[in-house]
Amino acid sequence: MSVTQHADPAVTSPPASGPKQTDGRTAERPLVVRLLARPEVGVFLGAVAVYVFFLIAAPPVRDAGSMANILYQSSTLGIVTIPVALLMIGGEFDLSAGVGVITSALTASMIAYQLSMNVWVGVFVALLVSLGIGFFNGWMVVKTGLPSFLVTLGTFLILQGVNLAVTKLVTGNVATDDISNMDGFNQAKKVFASSFDIGGVQVKITVFWWLLFAAIATWVLLRTKYGNWTFAVGGNKDSARAVGVPVAFTKISLFMLVGFGAWFVGMHQLFSFNTVQSGEGVGIELIYISGAVIGGCLLTGGYGSAIGPVFGAFMFGMVQQGIVYAGWNPDWFKAFLGVMLLGAVLINLWVQRTMTRR
Amino acid sequence: MNRTSTPGLRRITPVVAVAAAAALTLAGCSSSSGGKKAEEDAGNVSAGKANTPRLTIAMVTHAPSGDTFWDTIRKGAEAAAAKDNIKLIYSNDENAGNQANLVQNAIDQKVDGIAITLAKPDALKSVVAKAEKAGIPVVGLNAGLSVWKQQGLLSFFGQDEAVSGQALGSKLNGTGAKHALCVIQAQGDVNLEERCAGVKKTFSGKTDILYVNGTDMPSVKSTITAKLKQDSSIDQVVTLGAPIALTAVQAVSEGGSKAKIATFDLNKDLVSAIQKGSIQFAVDQQPYLQGYLAVDSLWLYKTNGNFSGGGEQPVLTGPAFVDKSNVEAVSKFAAKGTR
Amino acid sequence: MTDKNSGTHGAILQDAAPEKDGVIVELRNAGKAYGNIRALHGVSLQVRPSQVTCVLGDNGAGKSTLIKIISGLHQHTEGEFLVDGAPVRFSTPRDALDKGIATVYQDLATVPLMPVWRNFFLGSEMTKGPWPVRRLDIEKMKKTADEELRNMGIILDNLEQPIGTLSGGQRQCVAIARAVYFGARVLILDEPTAALGVKQSGVVLKYIAAARDRGLGVIFITHNPHHAYMVGDHFSVLRLGTMELTASRDQVSLEELTNHMAGGAELAALKHELAQVSGVDVEELPEQEDLTAPVAAAPEGTP
Repeated sequence: MSVTQHADPAVTSPPASGPKQTDGRTAERPLVVRLLARPEVGVFLGAVAVYVFFLIAAPPVRDAGSMANILYQSSTLGIVTIPVALLMIGGEFDLSAGVGVITSALTASMIAYQLSMNVWVGVFVALLVSLGIGFFNGWMVVKTGLPSFLVTLGTFLILQGVNLAVTKLVTGNVATDDISNMDGFNQAKKVFASSFDIGGVQVKITVFWWLLFAAIATWVLLRTKYGNWTFAVGGNKDSARAVGVPVAFTKISLFMLVGFGAWFVGMHQLFSFNTVQSGEGVGIELIYISGAVIGGCLLTGGYGSAIGPVFGAFMFGMVQQGIVYAGWNPDWFKAFLGVMLLGAVLINLWVQRTMTRR
Repeated sequence: MNRTSTPGLRRITPVVAVAAAAALTLAGCSSSSGGKKAEEDAGNVSAGKANTPRLTIAMVTHAPSGDTFWDTIRKGAEAAAAKDNIKLIYSNDENAGNQANLVQNAIDQKVDGIAITLAKPDALKSVVAKAEKAGIPVVGLNAGLSVWKQQGLLSFFGQDEAVSGQALGSKLNGTGAKHALCVIQAQGDVNLEERCAGVKKTFSGKTDILYVNGTDMPSVKSTITAKLKQDSSIDQVVTLGAPIALTAVQAVSEGGSKAKIATFDLNKDLVSAIQKGSIQFAVDQQPYLQGYLAVDSLWLYKTNGNFSGGGEQPVLTGPAFVDKSNVEAVSKFAAKGTR
Repeated sequence: MTDKNSGTHGAILQDAAPEKDGVIVELRNAGKAYGNIRALHGVSLQVRPSQVTCVLGDNGAGKSTLIKIISGLHQHTEGEFLVDGAPVRFSTPRDALDKGIATVYQDLATVPLMPVWRNFFLGSEMTKGPWPVRRLDIEKMKKTADEELRNMGIILDNLEQPIGTLSGGQRQCVAIARAVYFGARVLILDEPTAALGVKQSGVVLKYIAAARDRGLGVIFITHNPHHAYMVGDHFSVLRLGTMELTASRDQVSLEELTNHMAGGAELAALKHELAQVSGVDVEELPEQEDLTAPVAAAPEGTP
């Protein structure tokens, strides 16, 4: 999947003087080719293809309201997919992100309800818990050197059990109590789960947060030291350490960013649905990871972007809702989903292959 | 000693101060409405306790963990166990093969009785026969209405999913609905498919089926919204679980649809939704009753040789309709998570 | 600038007075034991500015242990390690870098998927603007990287290309240029020519010379005596964790160096035994007396 694997072999340049000398073996690549070599371009074209396809196949998609709905679904996936992608660029996995969302929502809800606190207290404690889970994952990976796949699989199972057991212990039920009439709820709902009217269409606030986070992540990744370190620890951890990059800090903080994303979506779910069932969230972690991979991030780390996963999540939301909008036989739903995703990934791969091979 | 402890104390003091400050800040953040304080102490179901010898009963279900409905079944079973001086061993696994292993585990523990759900009867056939061969009485609950007798179970407690679906379907005929959408939250689940099939059978209008991913609520919401948009003639949404119904309420209102919502199964929040009128009615199969009766019937069989349903007929716990007319009576039990 | 100073005679190093003028890094009878395994023992070495000190040795001779001690990855367990005449004990590579000791490892010098200029500044990025909008000064970094590479005689068409697309020799050169730019006084090169073809090796050797001419002390680790002899001012041969030979350029010939590397003294001792075995041609093996260069006093084992 890596662009660079198909990029030109070495350009040898004998030591010589002269201000603008080149060895003449590499011609300047045309702008369009250079553009297509970016990690997010393949997925962008894949997303456009899927969009155009459903525009033709499913008339309701043409409606702006439908697009808002598709974007909403994409944003709830995308807000976690972005940090998961950054983490993947940094060379690690997080399988605990899906249940982490529910852990965060449960924490906020139970803290607020059981202690009869303002819901913002719960929101704050949930943030600490989510960051703490991220820290734990990162710390374990860095200190033990175990593959993050194993470490976070452990966390995934632990959280799944803890979600259920603690909720049952505290509330006596397996779902949290309704907190919608508590102080601060409406305020928090404005931040995490409100919607905006844009030209008569209700657009969920999560869509704006999603795009904002993507913009910040892109800037950080390409324009800051931290972004440089992220690429370096994923590309070659030992080299990075040898030249003085704080590898442990970078990896642990990337895991904590995933914790932040999970917290945010957890808060959205809580303030959007008022209660949370403790068994939810299982299986979503794979959607986050596939969103990042579809978005052009290399599974082995060191390569990718923050904007690619935005299109990855959009493609996921588009396919999932597009099938419903098209009114196809629902028995085939999962099969359609798989075929569409595979097709989109193939387009992505094909673009990268053909465009980087001159 | 003193000397060494002082610097330690000094280091601790600011921590304590910060913690105290945080506690004070938190105290200032108390919510004036809702919360645990507002929840009235409903008290527990408690009755006298039987003085029969201690029995051990295993309940093995196909429930997914963390599901409200199944938690209610378990609460019923626990209530019966407490009353009948029974040690209840509850275990669950969605995977039929794993469920069979759990039954085998119960046999190995030489329990006095087994209560089992037969969601995938063929996978459990041999292990049920094994239990019966070992002289352990087995009763069925919730799922397996069509096979409990063939497999030699003592009795069965549950609702006929097809019958309850049909009952909901005919009730809809009286509301003037023309086009119903039946939302299934786990594709391929036999019980859920049967409910929708039942609705389809008796409902005089058109019935469509929609599959959603029950573990991802935002996705459930968008998918229902999308379907209502795709087919604007849908005027009735039927959901098969209480949390899905509550999410459907949001999807309907945000999608600008006029569709009404009816659902299977109850919980606390759903009861208040019925009171508010955002949900028409719910079909209750009384999961608490299923769990309770299954355990209690084993106790009766062991201590008095009774067969519930005479060993011939299933004991039906539903369908019972909960709507505006009777919701008040149900609400105080639902608040405890037992109805 | 070939060193004529008698102080470089390894065998008497521990007795020589520390030379404050010039010697940057010095090991005195240093050694390293991992548990009860002795990886390195009794090694003495001096590194001076504008001088290439070659450390030769076969696999397992202790070369990498030596690098790890000097670069701060491991600590020595015996003897002394001095920088600028003062004893030191590094706990991380950062400590070594702070003293101006930079290491270019054989295979982990760079992050292959990252552009050349990002690799050049990795870990020491240039930034501009106040926090929280402190950002990379990309323009300045690209310009500086280009200038520095040109100064070392490396010209690349496109600094945006991933460094993994450069040849092995070029990658080494970028790493060397990077170390030079970041103020290294001592450059440790771990087998920079090991995986390279003849032409590429030549390019790397040229940059080693360029670094030397800019006043750096270079420690050139290799197992190729030909490469070492082309640029080296001083040669140390490690064998089985101890110093077998230490000599300046005027005290040793390429032929001798090759012989030492090929097994040297031990082979000579074996010559007579081998002569008894039919079918082994011993005529071409060196005699003990042919090895005229000063042999380090091996503490045990080797004659």
